[in-house]
Amino acid sequence: MTEMVKVESLKKAYDKNEVLTGIDGVVNSGQVIVVIGPSGGGKSTFLRCLNLLETPTSGKVFFEGTELTNLGEKQLDDIREKMGMVFQSFNLFSNMNVLDNLTLAPKRVKGQSEADAQKKALELLAQVGLADKKDAYPDSLSGGQQQRVAIARALAMDPDVMLFDEPTSALDPEMVGEVLKVMQDLAAGGMTMIVVTHEMGFAREVADEVWFMDGGNIAEKGTPEDIFDHPKNDRTKDFLSRVLAQ
Amino acid sequence: MKMNKKKANLVFAAIVMLLGMILSFTPQTVHAADDSLQRVKDKGTLVMGTSPDYPPYEFITKVDGKNKVVGMDVQVAQKIADDLGVKLKVKQMDFDSLLVALETHKVDMVLSAMTPTEERKQSVDFSEPYYNAGQAIIVRKQDKSLYKDKNSFVNKQVGVQTGSLQQDLAKKQMKKSNLKALTKVTDLILSLETNKIDGIVAEDAVARAYVSNDSRLAMIDAKFDLGGDETSTAIAFSKNSGTLVAAANKSIAQIKAKNLTKGYIDNAGQYMSENTQNTSMLHYWSYFAKGIGYTLLITLIAVFFGVLLGAIFALGRLSKKKIFHYPSVWYIEFVRGTPLMIQVMFVYFGIGLLWNNIPAFFAGVVAVALNSAAYVAEIIRGGIDSVPNGQIEAARSLGMSKTDAMRTIVLPQAVKIIWPSLGNEFISLIKESSIVSIIGVTDLIYQLRAVQAATYRGVAPIAVAMVIYFILTFTLSRILNRAERKMQHD
Repeated sequence: MTEMVKVESLKKAYDKNEVLTGIDGVVNSGQVIVVIGPSGGGKSTFLRCLNLLETPTSGKVFFEGTELTNLGEKQLDDIREKMGMVFQSFNLFSNMNVLDNLTLAPKRVKGQSEADAQKKALELLAQVGLADKKDAYPDSLSGGQQQRVAIARALAMDPDVMLFDEPTSALDPEMVGEVLKVMQDLAAGGMTMIVVTHEMGFAREVADEVWFMDGGNIAEKGTPEDIFDHPKNDRTKDFLSRVLAQ
Repeated sequence: MKMNKKKANLVFAAIVMLLGMILSFTPQTVHAADDSLQRVKDKGTLVMGTSPDYPPYEFITKVDGKNKVVGMDVQVAQKIADDLGVKLKVKQMDFDSLLVALETHKVDMVLSAMTPTEERKQSVDFSEPYYNAGQAIIVRKQDKSLYKDKNSFVNKQVGVQTGSLQQDLAKKQMKKSNLKALTKVTDLILSLETNKIDGIVAEDAVARAYVSNDSRLAMIDAKFDLGGDETSTAIAFSKNSGTLVAAANKSIAQIKAKNLTKGYIDNAGQYMSENTQNTSMLHYWSYFAKGIGYTLLITLIAVFFGVLLGAIFALGRLSKKKIFHYPSVWYIEFVRGTPLMIQVMFVYFGIGLLWNNIPAFFAGVVAVALNSAAYVAEIIRGGIDSVPNGQIEAARSLGMSKTDAMRTIVLPQAVKIIWPSLGNEFISLIKESSIVSIIGVTDLIYQLRAVQAATYRGVAPIAVAMVIYFILTFTLSRILNRAERKMQHD
């Protein structure tokens, strides 16, 4: 197993407000890491620091052995190409139809031909069950459909790792399942994934490792069984008792 | 943040100081050695500044199908130019702008029925007077019996031309009258005919010209107490140009000796009667056509560069780099915080100090474009700001560069949002560009004045110009609406 992503004493502060207080962790190739924890615990910020959408205040982020925090913009663009990201609010390009959403970056960043990009895009749309929506504009799709397109868009770049930032939090309950299904299939296919989510069922079922984050650091790490059945940390216990009671 | 503000203030102070330096440049040019005559001879042209709305002194008429400034002053200037063996060039502008044009060397001399008052002598030199005129008051014909002289206008509204000798005289000697100063004699006549004022103080030659061409008007002798020079008309030169003044005085001495002015006035009278033979607006279509042409040209060029610069300033304002951010913010704030009229005058006269022969048209377009850029920048910034940040983040997470994301994702979305406001800006530019007429750019407003002066008709040219403006803006707004609808369907 090779190290895909590694962080060392990662810190992030906005002015004097410390959001991440020092995070260490390793994600190996093929692993699915699910990050859980209370809102405001720094989960999203942590994820966004991994592809430098947020610039860490201090600490190091390694991706496939390359340290990212002192790279230039151009080199960062090359790195981000390999780190797919899925957002809570989908962020599909609203001025383009579904197909163009998927082919834009492969064409402009990877220099793929229109034909190649389209072929790949159609395959991915079929994979997420939306082949018939290729000409639709984002605002005519449901939230679940938009999120599945967003996943396909990220996959179109052939990423080595996929970052999911609360991908189901903005969805109506009946649409959560279709998105989780796509993610589950991805995990089964061997994709390295880091998922921030509140879906405990998904965490228990799919995760190789669960990281519990609270107060800007990782309070506890372990297998789903460790975390959900035998939590050691008081904060983990407290959180789980509140979440699972619902 | 505090540091930034301090720095911002520093740079702002620097800009103000720079402005101050440009301003203090004026006296230096005044103290330069007197090579005025040599300069005119070297360039082979004598440039005369005038405000051609003052028949018979200067007004516009059609000669061989072309608009031309004619009148007694032009003939006096022509005589001087002939005596010097150089060509005469006539530059038109507002009366108020004439002395500034002289100070900034846009013109070599000013002949605009100007009286050499003490106040004016402070800032410019005058030749010997070339003409002596009495002062009259123009009134409505049916009211003529009510008035005897200047003292009959107690509590009445009396019109004068802004910055004129008549304004000074009326201020001092008609204290019980209410004065109303307007820039254009034609506007004064219009005010008189529509009962907004009861009389107009004017030189008798001017008064006679209007009265003989308009049956609704009459004139009376004003009977002012006049000092020596105060009734006379002379040529203004910039300070310290004694050699040029001396040359002009030689010509003026000949004009006086041979009594040439009488012939000049008769000549002007002929042009005037030609002008008034046909006062239908249709006859003057070429004036309006030229005006439309210039108005559209100014607007188009200003819109093009306004959008281009506006986009740059918008991106500058949005930039995280201070070196781009702050200059853009200051520029936008400064331009939006000062009137377009002052900006036009500043570009023409202020920048003109550094670049002597800046053409009025160029200066006008530059000023309007620079002004528009500030407003367009804010429109564009608003449009870009309204595109959700997530759109950029998504693009960047796919490995696209900031520039690429901006071009393919943000700007296309922003354009849709800003299109209607941008359209409004185009339309208001058609109207606002009219301000360039003050520096003599022959746009629609300027031509409207010219037609007023030529025909002695006040309202009709205004109505024509108004309709033309409306047709222009209405057509443009239709076109823009159509484009907007088309964009929504895409």
